[in-house]
Parts: sequence; structure tokens; C-alpha cells
Amino acid sequence: MKELEEFDKIIALSNELRWQIGDDFHDDLTEAIYADAAKIVKKTVVQNSQKGTLGIDAKIDNIVTSKIWGFPLMLFLLGFVLWLTIIGANYPSAMLSSLLLDIVHPFLKESTAAIGFPWWLSGFLVDGVYLAVAWVIAVMLPPMAIFFPLFTLLEDFGYLPRVAFNMDSLFKKSGAHGKQALTMSMGFGCNAAGVVATRIIDSPRERLIAIITNNFSLCNGRWPTQILLATIFIGAVVPESYSSIASLAAVVGIAVLGIFFMFFFSWALSKTVLKGEVSTFNLELPPYRTPVFWKTIYTSLIDRTLIVLWRAIVFAAPAGAVIWLICNITLGDESIAAYLVHSMDGFGFILGLNGVILLAYIVAIPANEIVIPTILMLTVMVTGISAGSGSGVMFELDSVSATADILKAGGWTLLTAINVMLFSLLHNPCSTTIYTIYQETKSLKWTVVASILPVIAGFIVTFLVAQIWRIIF
Amino acid sequence: MKTTPKSACETCAHHSLENVKKLGVDITNVDFVIALAGNPNTGKSTVFNALTGLRQHTGNWPGKTVTRAEGAFEYQQKKFKLIDLPGTYSLMSRSEDEEVARNFILFGKPNVTIIVVDASRLERNLNLTLQILEITSNAVLCLNLMDEAQKNNIQIDTRSLSKELGIPVVATSARSKEGIPELIATISDVALGKIICKPHKIKNIPPQLEQAIKKLSTAIQNQYPTVSNSRWLAFRVLEGDTHIIEALKTGDFS
Amino acid sequence: MNSYNPIIYLSVFFVLVVLLVLVFNTRNGVYFTYLKTKNATKKTAVEDILKLLYHNDRFTEADIIEQLEYSHGLIESCLLKMLSKQLIAKESHFVQLTDEGEEYALRIIRAHRLWEKYLSEKTGFHKKEWHDRAEQKEHELSDEELDQLAKLLGNPKFDPHGDPIPTKSGKIVQKKGTDLSRLPVHSIGKIIHIEDEPAAIYKEILAQKIHLHSQIKVIESNEQIVVFEAEGVVFKLTPVVAKNITVQELDPENILDVNNSRLSNLKINETATIIGISKESRGENRRRLLDLGFVKGAEVRINLVNPLNDPTAFLIKGTSIALRKDQSEKILITKNIGNENNT
Ligand SMILES: Nc1nc2c(ncn2[C@@H]2O[C@H](COP(=O)(O)OP(=O)(O)O)[C@@H](O)[C@H]2O)c(=O)[nH]1
Ligand SMILES: [Mg+2]
Repeated sequence: MKELEEFDKIIALSNELRWQIGDDFHDDLTEAIYADAAKIVKKTVVQNSQKGTLGIDAKIDNIVTSKIWGFPLMLFLLGFVLWLTIIGANYPSAMLSSLLLDIVHPFLKESTAAIGFPWWLSGFLVDGVYLAVAWVIAVMLPPMAIFFPLFTLLEDFGYLPRVAFNMDSLFKKSGAHGKQALTMSMGFGCNAAGVVATRIIDSPRERLIAIITNNFSLCNGRWPTQILLATIFIGAVVPESYSSIASLAAVVGIAVLGIFFMFFFSWALSKTVLKGEVSTFNLELPPYRTPVFWKTIYTSLIDRTLIVLWRAIVFAAPAGAVIWLICNITLGDESIAAYLVHSMDGFGFILGLNGVILLAYIVAIPANEIVIPTILMLTVMVTGISAGSGSGVMFELDSVSATADILKAGGWTLLTAINVMLFSLLHNPCSTTIYTIYQETKSLKWTVVASILPVIAGFIVTFLVAQIWRIIF
Repeated sequence: MKTTPKSACETCAHHSLENVKKLGVDITNVDFVIALAGNPNTGKSTVFNALTGLRQHTGNWPGKTVTRAEGAFEYQQKKFKLIDLPGTYSLMSRSEDEEVARNFILFGKPNVTIIVVDASRLERNLNLTLQILEITSNAVLCLNLMDEAQKNNIQIDTRSLSKELGIPVVATSARSKEGIPELIATISDVALGKIICKPHKIKNIPPQLEQAIKKLSTAIQNQYPTVSNSRWLAFRVLEGDTHIIEALKTGDFS
Repeated sequence: MNSYNPIIYLSVFFVLVVLLVLVFNTRNGVYFTYLKTKNATKKTAVEDILKLLYHNDRFTEADIIEQLEYSHGLIESCLLKMLSKQLIAKESHFVQLTDEGEEYALRIIRAHRLWEKYLSEKTGFHKKEWHDRAEQKEHELSDEELDQLAKLLGNPKFDPHGDPIPTKSGKIVQKKGTDLSRLPVHSIGKIIHIEDEPAAIYKEILAQKIHLHSQIKVIESNEQIVVFEAEGVVFKLTPVVAKNITVQELDPENILDVNNSRLSNLKINETATIIGISKESRGENRRRLLDLGFVKGAEVRINLVNPLNDPTAFLIKGTSIALRKDQSEKILITKNIGNENNT
């Protein structure tokens, strides 16, 4: 008790002193420290001549922030990194999936049967859990293993802060920080990694904005969906010689639309719910440094790629189990999946989608990579056409035209494809990202906002497109 | 700062990394706890990696280490645990990183704090250094990025710098591991009490502020006789740092 | 599905959107109007009348009704209640505060100004929102909360507009000063207060980016216009606007270097020395700037110009640091003459 009294005395004394010294204390103290620092430096440091590597830095800076070269260089580098990622990932992805899906999967099926697992246990483990995990690895690992090291090399060189510098005034207009240009680009690789990267933004309001809007960057898991649908449906409406350009334009258009939504929601958030959060700005432009190449590659693989991949696997495994279960447990004479599909068909129709698509997006919350396989499997299941390898077993077809046939049999039109492309851009983040958002914000409220906001946007946009489309055509 | 004389052979051992065992993340049964503090982008993680053999992410980009990393190494049969703190410009604002770094130095009571500074930007880095020296007296200044300083034609008199600051100063280029053996030897000397630090205290404070600080720090010292940094606590209380005031109340400083 | 018609769906959607906008519009939406009327209790009205009377000596009941947005009936019943509680007294038609009433009024003013100070130091709300938010909050804060708040802020003496904050015991510092329109030509003064009411005039002052505590020099002053220079920028105001700015004439020994200017006015290849950070930079922003080395006496020059013109990177204490224009406007410098183009 006596101690608390003493404590109160100290506080009373400090209150009185604070009143006496006024509110410049922090200023005065900082000035005093810097004055000491200047004195010490004067005694101990000799600067021989002005120039050194600073001269080279200045030359690079003048190019990368110039009116003429600044923006083209940024676009070129981002485009190059994305192109290399998508193109470069094709081959290893195909190899991985033929290994994991065509060789290991049947092998596991046979061996579990040989040891005498009942059909439901091997179905649950091999067709459900294993298949989902294998899919995520095959689709996710190669692009991330290319994207992250490239990005990290740019970071280590010191180029990224210059991008933030160049872009800042665009982002400032929507209440965001220039560094969001980078977290957004990182989101093209993986939204969870993009959310982690927002740590570089040290202003609370702008960081929240960057976290909440990161999902509008079309991530690696969603590019393949876009490309597949654009190839099947958009490429088909134009003359054959233009089809690949048209489908490319459609995919890029979706990504650009995402950027537009990112700006829009940044602006809206900063003007409404987030306007009371503290907002500061600081951006240090560090000197250029040559990256230690192999070390950078190594740490970026360990730090970013494998961690994100691990999280994705942890979430995908139960998702695979759920998918298999809802397809194989029956209520009355229908499986749960079929029941859910039918009950959501009406709502799906209003949005220009269908029950299969909605269900696929619900069960595939853990990973966007398994949306298309799930859609195919469910379509086969509800239409009863013969393809795939049994209920609850996700699959994909090597031939694009065979995929197109299944989708069309499922009632897909050009409108369905466009709306799925839109919905793939505008829906809740995958569960890895949701979990990461919670980790980073430690706030249930912002996690919910970040998860719900894009779905609402998705519902509104697909609804409008569907109604207008049907009025016109 | 006092340095006890060393025998010739003791010193020669310092120049090789052979008697250093990198222990990675094995942080059980440690003898000493060492904190790594410094401005963003001065090479803290690089120093951390050089000492522990781990591969923490380093990047040329202020503000990427937010959570703290831990690792360990062994030197002359003593085990040292090392903590890589987030980089900060100061310990007096109230951002999340600063709180993590500040709380560790203050409450975690590391045996030695290594302050990693950029040799080409010494003045700016001294802002944080001088603040840390108000909090703790066992510190080593790691004058890193010496290779860049040389390229920029900057020369630093490490001996008089060490005299001014009252703590040992070791020049390093962490990326090429230059100076790391000396750094380890110095850390161990400070931890074992072979080197006694007499850290610099902030001087150029306007007189009437200095008076207020003195009054308050005396009051704090009387109430909590064991604290060694009552002056710094007075700074914080005068700024209304609620966290520190709360800690005083609950007696976290005894 | 047969009855499906996209036009109907679309119409329903738009009707819904319009309804939502009507209900939740922040300016005059149903929801917010409801909140406002709910808050317009007798207590609020009484406290607003007290404040009004504190600032205006010879006010009649009619004046009060004219100045406040409350209904006639509410004000009358409030006045009756206040009379019976001896917060006010009537002298012929004039309504005046009693000692007790003044104490109460000062408490509300303390709450208002402390809350404005809090908003300016600890949150990101824009300047133009402080007043309205404080108008609400002043009626809600309890004595205990006020003490907590004052402690948190370090018992500040002035609010962010330069108005004195009454102490708990009701002491209030008096500030001497004249309004800007009355400062003679060529004299040098310092802005000590910027009035935030009426909103329209305050908005104009904000738009011109006139900063509290800046040193000014009057260049021209007459019935039509007041022209003055502050921080290297020339401002032109109508006398009506100038009346809302309070200045204090400076003694010669307190006058800063008259060549002071804002960092945002620095040109490429010029070097300058920092004099200090304007009082308009507050809270976390101010601390950051100080931490980054923007302190008195530091040398600064432009390192990089942005392709889109904002932000600009400044070289300070050996490092290149980018600041947005609204930050560099709040850093004061004197340009170093004679060492241009020596790089
Ligand atoms: N040239 C040179 N570069 C270094 C040295 N130490 C660190 N770096 C580089 O400086 C950058 C920042 O290092 P990092 O350890 O991440 O700094 P931290 O932010 O303090 O943890 C990285 O690009 C390192 O490779 C050094 O001694 N010399
Ligand atoms: Mg680091």
C-alpha cells in the first residue's frame, strides 16, 4: 500500500513537471541527442571527399525515377517477372502433376487396396486428403519458387523502395501508401505473402488498407483458372487467328480490374472506417547493394515459398477430406454435395453462376488451386456424364476441349464463364490468407472485414453483369 | 571504459572463428543473453546469421524483420543466446517494432546489447545508440558496413569513438565476415565483466529540462533503488509513456 | 424460374441501393439524423447554452435561440431549469452566468479542447473534423475520463488551435493578441490562434495552408485585403477571414531569421539548414520526422525529384528520405546562400 502511495507521488511530481516544461519535451530531447551525436561525429569521423559509390547510386536513381524511364521500367520488370513465372512454371507444374496425380495416386490406391483398407478409408485418405494436397503442391510450388526469388533479388538490390517512391502519389490519392504497390505486386504471387509483406508499411492506417485490399491482386492460384476459362470461352467468340490474343487480353483485363477495385476500396476505407487510424509517412531510400545471389535464392525459398506452401497444405488437407465426404455421404437418395448444389442453384442463377460453382468456391476456400478440379468433379456428378474417376475424386483433363465439353454439358455459357472469371477475382481470400490476416492484425474485426468485403463486391458485380447481359442478349 | 590487459595468446585466439561453435536454434541452457539492436537496414540480420550460422532473411529494405529471431553460439565453453530485434530509428516513439525492441532491452535484461550501426551514416545511427546507452550499460558498438564506408572515403577513428561512447567499438563488414571474430571476443569480454562499460549520457539537454529530469529521476531512484536507468525512466514518464508508468506501478523494475 | 425477369431484379437492386443511401448517408441520412436527435437531450442543450454564454457577455434569450440549433421550446425549458439550479441569473433581458455556471461552462470547454488535443495527437482524423467530433464528445466525457485524458496528453496548456485549455480547478491562461487584420503594415508577428468557427471561414484558412505559430510579416492591410508573408509564402486574405486569426506582435529579440521558409519551397541544388518543425505537425508524424533527423541545425537538400512530383527525397544526415508535400510544408528552413551548385 505504502508503495502505491509513493508511486502516486512520483506521478504527481511528473504531472507537475510536465506542466512546467510544456509540450516541447520530445523535441528538446531529440535535439539534444542529435547535438551530442554531431559532436561525437565531428571528433571521430573524417570524410575525405564527397563522392564515392554515392555517385553511382545517384546515376541509377536518376534513371529509375526519371519521368521518361521510371514507369516503363517498372511495368517492364513486373511484366517480366509475371511472364517468367507463368511460362516458367508450366513445365515443372506439368511434371509434378503427372508425378503426383498420374503415378503416385494410382499407386497409393492400389497399395491401400492391397493392404486391405476398406473403400471408404482409402477414398477418404487417398482421393480426399492426398489428392487435394497433391494438387496444391503441383499448382502452387513451381510458380512461387520462381516468383519469390525474383522478387527478393529486386528487393535486395534496393530497387523496390524506388518503386514505392515513384508510385506514391497515385496511392496517396486513394489514401494508401506507395509501398502498397509492392505488397500488391507480391499479392500477384500469393496473397498470404502479400499480407505478410505489409510489415514494411509502418503507418497503422495504410497498413490495414494494404492488408484488406491485398486480395484484389489476382494470385498465382487463380491465374490458371482465368487462363483456362478465357481460352475455352473468350477465345472462341473471336476469329480463330485472334483467339489467343483475345483470351490474353481478357485475363490481363481481369487483373487490371482487380487493381481498379484495390484503388477503389483503399479510397473508400480510408474515407470511412479507417479515417481515425493514425497515419504517417516515411520512406527511406537505401543505397543500392549487389545481392548475394545464391543466399538470396536460398532464403527466399525457405522464408517465403516453403512457409506459404506449408500453410496451404495444412489447410488443403482437411478441404480434400470435406470434398470427398460431402460427395460420398448421402441424405435420402442424394449425396450432400448434390443436395447443396441444387439448393444453391437458384441463387447461383441470379448471379449468372450455378450451384456447382458456388459449392466449389465454398469447399475450396482453403485453396483456389482446387476450384477447377472441384467444379469438374461436381459437374460430372450432378449431370451424370461419364468422365473422371468416381464421386469425390477431383480431376482435371489434359485436353482443353474435353474440359470445355464437360462445362458446356453442365450448362455453361459465355456469361457463366465471364462471371466465374469475375468471381474468381472477387471472392473471399483463401483460408491461408485469412489466417495470415488474423496473425498480422490480431483483430477479428479486420479479419472479417477483409474476408467479407471482396465477396460482397463479387456478388454485386456478377449480379449486375448477369442482369444486364440477359437484358441485352 | 576499462580494458583489463590481456596476455598475448588470448588475443591471438580472437582472430579466428575456429573456437566458435555455431549452434543455430539450439537455445537451451544458455549462459548469456545477447540482443542485437540498430537502425533498419544496418546489417543486424547479417551479423545474426554470421554469429549463429542461421539464415534469417536479410534484405536491402528498411523494416522487414518484425518478429524477433533467436539463435545461439558457443565460445570458450560459454553459451550465448542471440536475439535479432526489429530495426528502429528510435526508442521514443510508439510504433509496434519500437515497443518490441524497447521492451526487450528494458525488461529482457540482456547481458550484452550489440548496437549495429552503418559506418557511413554514423550521426543518424547515434540517435538510437545514445538512447540505448541510457537504458543499458553493457553494450558493444558494431560499426558495420565498413566496406561501404571505405568506398565512400569515410574514415572513422574507432578508438576515440569508443572513448566518446564509453563502450567497446568493433569495426565489421558482416557480409564478408570481417571483424566477426573480434566482435565475438568483445561480446564475451563484456559479458564476463572483463571489459567494464561507462556509457555516454546525453548532455546537451536545456538546463531547465535537465533540472526537471533530475528531480524526477531522483524520486524514481529513491523509490526503486535497484534500477540502473532512472534517468531514462524519467524521460519516459515525462513524456507520459503509459507502458512505462504501468510498469513502475506494478514494480516490474525491481 | 419462369417468372424470372432481369429488369425486375435490376430495379429491385437499385431501389435497395437508393434506400440504403437514404438511410445511411452521413450528411442527412435517416440513421444519422436519428442519432443526432437522440443525442440532443436536455443535458446537451444546457451545456451548449452555458458555453455560448461563457463566450458572450450580453446575450438575451432571443440571441440564444438564434445562435443555437435547438427548438424554441427546448431552449426555454432549459433556461428555466438552469435558473432554478442557479447556473444562470437574469438581469433585465440579459442572461448571465453565475459563478457556478461559469465553472460548469469551463468544464465543458476543458472537455472540448482536451478532446481536440487528443484527436490531433493520437488519431488520424483530419483537422476539419476535430471541432465537430469534440462538440459531440464534450457532453459525454465524465470527470474521471477527463482526468485520464489530461494525464495521457501530459496536461497540455493549449488545444491544437492555440486556445488555452482550462485546468481542472478552472484556471485558464489568458492569451494577449490582436486579430490579424489590425496588425500594422511591416510589423512582424506570430500566429497564436486560428479560430475554427464558423466552418466556412475555417475551411478557407485550411485551404490556404496557414500554419499556427508561424511568424508573419504584414505587407499590405486595408479594408479590401490583408497580405502577409509567412514561412516564405505570400498569403492574401479578406479582412473577414483575417479576423479569425489571432497574432501577437513580436519583440525584436524574439524574431526568427526573416528568411525562413518551408522545406517544400527548397529548389533542386539549393542547400538549407533546418530551423524546426512547425507546430502543425503533430503526434506520431512529428516524432517520426524528429527520429529521421529533421532537427534544428541539420543540413538538407533535395536528392531526388519524383516523376509525378510528389513525394520528394531529401538528403539528410547522409540518407535519402522521401517526404510528402504535406510533410515538407511543415518543416522550416533557412536557405544557405552562396553554396549553390557546388556538387
Ligand atoms: N556491403 C555490405 N553489405 C552488407 C553488410 N552487412 C549487411 N549488408 C547488406 O545490407 C543489407 C541489409 O542487411 P540486413 O542484415 O537485412 O539488415 P537489418 O535490417 O539490419 O537486419 C543486406 O542487403 C545485406 O546483404 C556489409 O558488411 N557490407
Ligand atoms: Mg533484419
